[in-house]
This record gives sequence, C-alpha cells and structure tokens, in this order.
Amino acid sequence: MGRFLLRRFGLALVTLWLLSIIVFVAAHVFPGDVGRRILGPFADPAAVASLNHQLGTDQPILSQYWSWLSGAVTGHLGTSLNYRDSVASLLGRAIGNSAKLGVVAFVLVVPLGILGGIVAALNRDRFLDRFITVAGLSAAVIPEFVWAIVVIILFGVVLRVLPVTAQAPEGSGVLTQLEYLILPAIALVLVLFGYIARITRAGMIEALDADYTRTAALKGLSWATVIRRHVLRNALLPTVAVVASQTGYLIGGLVVIELIFNYPGIGYLLFTAAQKKDFPLLQGGVMFVGLVYLTATLLADIAYSLLNPRIRYGSAE
Amino acid sequence: MDRSQHQRLDSIRRGQSELDNHLIDEFLGGYISRREFVRKGTVLGLGLPTLGAILAACGSTTSSTGGGALKKGGKMTVAIITPSGAIDPLKVSDEGGLAVLGQAGEYLAFSDKDLKLVPVLAESWQANSDGSVWTFKIRQGVKFNDGTPMTAKDVAFTVNLHADPANGSNARSVFKGVLSKGNTTAPDDTTVKFQLDAPNGNFPYLVSSDNYNLIILPSSYTGGYESSFIGTGPWKKTSFTTGQGVSYVQNPNYWDKSALNLDSLDLKFYADDQPRILALQGGTADVISQFSASVGQALLGNPNITVLALRSSAHRQIHMRTDKEPFTDKNVRQAMGLVLNRQQLVTQLLNGQSDLGNDSPFAPVFPSTDTSVAQRAQDVTQAKQLVTTAGKSGATVRLDTWNGYEIPQLAQLVKAGAAQAGINITLNVTDAGTYYGDAVFGKSPWLDSVMGITDYGHRGVPNVFLGAPLLSSGPWNSAHFKNTQYDDLVAKYVAAIDSATQRNLAGQIERLLLDQTPIIFPYFYKHMSASKTTVGSIEPTAMGHISLKTAGFKA
Repeated sequence: MGRFLLRRFGLALVTLWLLSIIVFVAAHVFPGDVGRRILGPFADPAAVASLNHQLGTDQPILSQYWSWLSGAVTGHLGTSLNYRDSVASLLGRAIGNSAKLGVVAFVLVVPLGILGGIVAALNRDRFLDRFITVAGLSAAVIPEFVWAIVVIILFGVVLRVLPVTAQAPEGSGVLTQLEYLILPAIALVLVLFGYIARITRAGMIEALDADYTRTAALKGLSWATVIRRHVLRNALLPTVAVVASQTGYLIGGLVVIELIFNYPGIGYLLFTAAQKKDFPLLQGGVMFVGLVYLTATLLADIAYSLLNPRIRYGSAE
Repeated sequence: MDRSQHQRLDSIRRGQSELDNHLIDEFLGGYISRREFVRKGTVLGLGLPTLGAILAACGSTTSSTGGGALKKGGKMTVAIITPSGAIDPLKVSDEGGLAVLGQAGEYLAFSDKDLKLVPVLAESWQANSDGSVWTFKIRQGVKFNDGTPMTAKDVAFTVNLHADPANGSNARSVFKGVLSKGNTTAPDDTTVKFQLDAPNGNFPYLVSSDNYNLIILPSSYTGGYESSFIGTGPWKKTSFTTGQGVSYVQNPNYWDKSALNLDSLDLKFYADDQPRILALQGGTADVISQFSASVGQALLGNPNITVLALRSSAHRQIHMRTDKEPFTDKNVRQAMGLVLNRQQLVTQLLNGQSDLGNDSPFAPVFPSTDTSVAQRAQDVTQAKQLVTTAGKSGATVRLDTWNGYEIPQLAQLVKAGAAQAGINITLNVTDAGTYYGDAVFGKSPWLDSVMGITDYGHRGVPNVFLGAPLLSSGPWNSAHFKNTQYDDLVAKYVAAIDSATQRNLAGQIERLLLDQTPIIFPYFYKHMSASKTTVGSIEPTAMGHISLKTAGFKA
C-alpha cells in the first residue's frame, strides 16, 4: 500500500508539471497579447506597450515560464496580470466558494444517486425502476444551463421562495449560506443524479445475478445481510470511480452554473483568466483543479482497494 | 410595452401629425422626459386628454425614474457588469469599470443622458477665440473622501497623468493629437488652463465623464486605487472584493451632501446579461445598469419594472475596403448600403430599441447631426443595377467579424441582402481576440479584411468616430478610406465652436459619406437599464455611467 501510494504521488507530480507546460503553451498560442486583451482593441498602441512592459509580458516566453515555475515551487503563485492582485488570495476565495457549492451538491447527489440506483435495481423492470432510470436520464441530458434557468425562474422569480443568486450576503450564517446554495445544487443534482443512479443500478444488477449472491442467499443469510455484505460491496466499485471523476467537475468545472448564479467560484475565474491571457492566475487555478482531480482519483483508488481485497492484496506483494 | 398597449398607441398615433408622432417617438425612445414630453406636447397643440392617453399607453417606459417624493435613507443594490480587470483609473476601458469609477470619483463635468454637459467639479468653462485654449473655473470647498481639499492643482495633475504616454493611460486615445502632457496648468487654486495641440470646439466633453478615466485624483496619488477609492464623489467605499462587488456609505466630506438620499449602496458584479436580469426579476437587485434588448424582453412588459431606454451613439460598422475588389467602385459600396432593410434589422435584432443609421457617424442623438439629410432606405432594384453597371455582379467577398452580441445575426442578414444585389458573401466569424488581432495594420482581420463588422461603444461627441475609422491617417481605418475633402471637412468640424457651423459641416460630411459609403452604419442602438418601480432618480448614461447621487426609494 505504501509503495503504491508513493508511486501514485510521484506520477501526480509529473502530471502536474506536464499540465503546467500544456496550459502555458496553450495560453501563448492564442492570438493577441496580454496588454491588448486588458486594454481592448481601441487602446493606443503606446499604452499597450507600456502596460506589457509593466507586467513583464514583453519578456521572452521561456523566461516568463521560468519565473513562474521558480516562484510556484517555492509557493509563490505571483500576481494576476488582469486584476493586479495576488493569485493566492484570488484563488483562495474562489476555491473556498467552489468547495462550499461542491460539498453541498456532493452531499445531496451522491446518497440520492446511490439510493436511486439501489431502489431501481431491487425493483428491476418494474415501474419504479423504469421511472428512476428514465427520469434520471432525461434530467441528465438536459444541459445544466437550462436546468439552472428553469429552477431560478420557478423558485426564484415565480414562487420567490429561494434567492436567485448563489452568493449569500457577507457575514451570513451557515444556514443562510445553505439557503443560497440550494438552487445551484438542485441544478447539479438534476444533471448528475441519473448518471450515478444508472451506474449503481448496473453494478447492483450484476452483483445480484452473481453466483456468490445466490450462494449467500442459499446458505440462509437474511436478505438485508446479503445486500449489505455481498451485493453492495461489489456493486459500488464502479460508482466510486464515477463519483471521483465527478468531484473534479464539481470543484473546477462549474463555469456555466457559476455564471448563471453569479457565484464567484473557480470555474468562472479561470474562464476569464483564459480570456484575458492572465497566465499566472490561469496557471495557478489549473494546477489547483488538476490537484483536486488527482487527489479525488487517488482517494477513489484507496476506497476501491478497501472495497476490493484483490487490489489491496495485489499491491502489497 | 405589451401588445394591447401597442395597439392603443397606434390608434392614437394615426390621428396625429408627423411632428406630433416625432415627439411621441422621442418620448418612447427615452430621449425626453415625461415632463419635457408634456411641455413640448402642449406647445405643439396636443391636448391634455391626448397626452394622458399616450402616457397611459406607454406604460412603464419612461426616460427617468423620477416622479414621486423620495425618502431619505435605505440601501440600494445595483447590479452592474463585472469590471473586466483591476479598478485603476488609468486602465479601465469597460462599462463595468467605469460604472465603479463614477461612484467614489467625480469628473469636471457630467455628460448627461441628453449629451448635455452638467458642471460638477468645474463650475464654468470658456474657450479663447479659436478654441485652442480652454479655461475652467474649479469648484471651491470640495474635499476628497480622506478629508484633504481639492484644488485646481489636483485637476492639472490628474489630466497630465493621463496625457503622459509613459503611464499607459486608456485616456490617451482621446488626448492624442488634442492635448499633450504638461500643457494643463493651474495658474491658481481655482483655475485650470488647457493649451491644446489644435483648436477643438468639443473639448469640454473630452475632460467630462465621456472620457471616463478622468475622475479627479489628488496630486499625491501614486496608484493603488483599489485600496483607497480616493475621490470627491458622493460614495465612500467600505469594502471591495475583486470580481464580486463594492459597498459604499455616504462620503462624510461630500460637497453636495444634502442632495443624497441613500445611506449606503451596494454594487454587485454580474458577468452576464441573463443573471443580471434574473436578479432584478427575483428581487436581489433594485437596479440593473445595463441589459441588451434582445435578452431582456421579459423586462420590457413587466409592470413592476421601470425600463430606461437611452438613445446612444453605440453602433456597428460594416466596413468595405475602398482599395480592394469589388469595393473599389463606390457604386458597389452604395449598393451594399441599399440592400439593407434597416427598420427590419432593428426590429429583428434589437426588439426595435434603436435609431436607424444613415451611413455616417452622425447618430441622430448628436445635437450637431444634420437631420435634414435623407435617410437611406432599402432599394434592391437600384442596388442590383449599381452592381451590374459596375460589372461586379457575381463577385465573391469574405466578411470577417466576431461572435458577440447580435453581430453574427447581422452578418447573416448582410449576406442575404448582398446576395439579392448579386454579391456573394462568405462569413468568417471568429472570437473577438482573433478578429481584433494585434489591432495594427497587417496583423488584424479587423483592419485588413475586405469586409468586416466592428462594434463601437457610445461616445458623447462624434469626434472619435469621425477620426480614427475614416481619416486618411486614422489608426482604425478598416475601409482604407482616403479622401482629402473628407479630411478637410473633419478638421473644420472638430475646430468649430458654435453649433450652427458644426451642423452645417456635419451635413456636408453626411452627404459626402452617403455618396462614398466606405462604412455602413446600420443602426445606433439604445442603452437599456432597468429598476424596480419603487426606485427613483437614478441617472444612467449611454456611456455606462450610473449616477446614484440623488437616487432613493419612493416614499
């Protein structure tokens, strides 16, 4: 287990480094320079040149990358070119917000999705199964921006029971913040529920049909014990992988949801950073989102191995 | 306005003269206030019952939210466009940024919604005989929000700060060739003198809120605006969060404190139209500073919301390279102007919230525009004939533009129109960064393409539109239009001080451009903002300022 983790950790570092190069190159192949992006097409060329000089974006590309990398390894993420504010503080705020929304959505959708999948599998081919599968899939194929608008108009504008923006007023308590986060979380639940439920259902059905389940039932165990000890343990393996892959999305990929709910999270921050060619901010943010993805996958691997002895014992050899 | 209101209004209109209907249009367009409408209406002889019927049919669309006494106190939440970068008076170049600058900061004069200059930190101004030296009298007893007094020296410092090319100020694009660094002086504490590079009859606009970077800063200013929000304006910052918003309270040192109603103010940043509109509908925001007519249809008929539609000079330019086939022949360029059904464009693309363009920068909103020049109307037969006579029938041309606002739809309609006259247009729609490129000739589809569509924001005077995109030496001359007669007329127009001369020259320029048609100006769309009906006395401008000095909630 220790060696396994160490190897994964080393691979993660290499992945992050490659990611930084990809982001850097991608940011520099877009046409237009930073000063022009910030000041707009109608600014005086002299003003653009002077801004580029102030920002250091007139330096050779390699030296720009080097100054970022040498700062980053010592924990200095630099200053945002566009906002003239420290990248660490900009990211810190956005990450905090994204994490709040991500956690609320996660806590709602994961148990709901798994429960839905289990109920569907246990009622296989009956009305409840059809209903959960069809409703879940139908909700999932409707894009998140449509759901966002639908829930806003329904709960925020027509019924007026929930706020239409996700950002609670400054200094609000936990409950108020939750109230503000419910609508975007509902939109995310609608998008993700069908996916998680379907994967769980498939895993459940496979496990229910397996020989070991029949054996367990035949040797006289109660149905609840069979489900808990034999079916769920095996059925949830693919679900864990899917949930892990959605965690990165929940933290860093909610550009559209953040835009519609006017929520200052990391997705929208990175989107504008890319538009403005704000390299330090973009790089810092992408590194963070990459880190979340890698951590989530690593945690999934660990959870996987705890659920599946074959992996656990295999890596310990 | 809903359908039944439209029908009611149409039935009233049928009985009125053209002049009366023009006045109704002006009122509907938000160009004149309710009071002004009633005043002018009675002068024209519209009886009070008729005026009342029109006002009733017009529902909630008025030009200002005034009317009804406002109570003192309260906190107003205003949703504005997220500023695109740091709040820095030197660098701001977008509507969100300038809306923020205008709260804690003030200008020498405020260019109001009718493009009149209202004195603010300057009390009066006058030019020498040829308009090359302007002298401004500065208001006394004004203090910055940190308590230090504001004098003419601070004004001269601020202007020179922006005029110095080394500082990379966005305002340089206005001052270039007009006012050089060091030529603004303060002979005493109450006087500021501007020695211009060339005579300029509209100069006061260039140091007003129209040149939105020019909030007056103290001479001790060395940067770091976001931490201080230093200025003489009515609102003093209490907190600012990048990308989220600014909170303000009344500036305790404000020189016109008795005019203020609100205790505090929250500017909330919204990146997109849709969430901004939803925030107003859902009650999170009291005011939204801007929305586009195509997205905000729901607001136009909502009885709980007051929509303010301001005529503006913001527009799209469809340029045609006068030095490239098939547009070397002015007949082909005229034909492109003739194929467009402008009224239909405006209805389809902008919900009708727009003035028509007449292929010159002279928007109907500018007081100097010669409105006697006939509006170019659709004439496909003539267009076809012009193209055939020029021998360019069947020519193919590529139109470059970018994917934003209603521009791609406009490009489609231009393409469809051109096809009717025998010109085939292929579209190349990219992102804004690609289209504008490096913004210099040879490295920018905007400036190099044979045909293209470019978006221009509102200006209080036509000087910039007349210069950069059309002068032989113009840095944004996408049409590569070179016409010495035009250049001369513009130089004369810029120098002209009295409005009769300006209007006369404007007429000559309008006719010359209609004949030459290097650029099609299809429409000048309105600036739209909205508030709850309980809100009064907010003053937005087409530039994007939103003055909340006298704003308040109705008692």
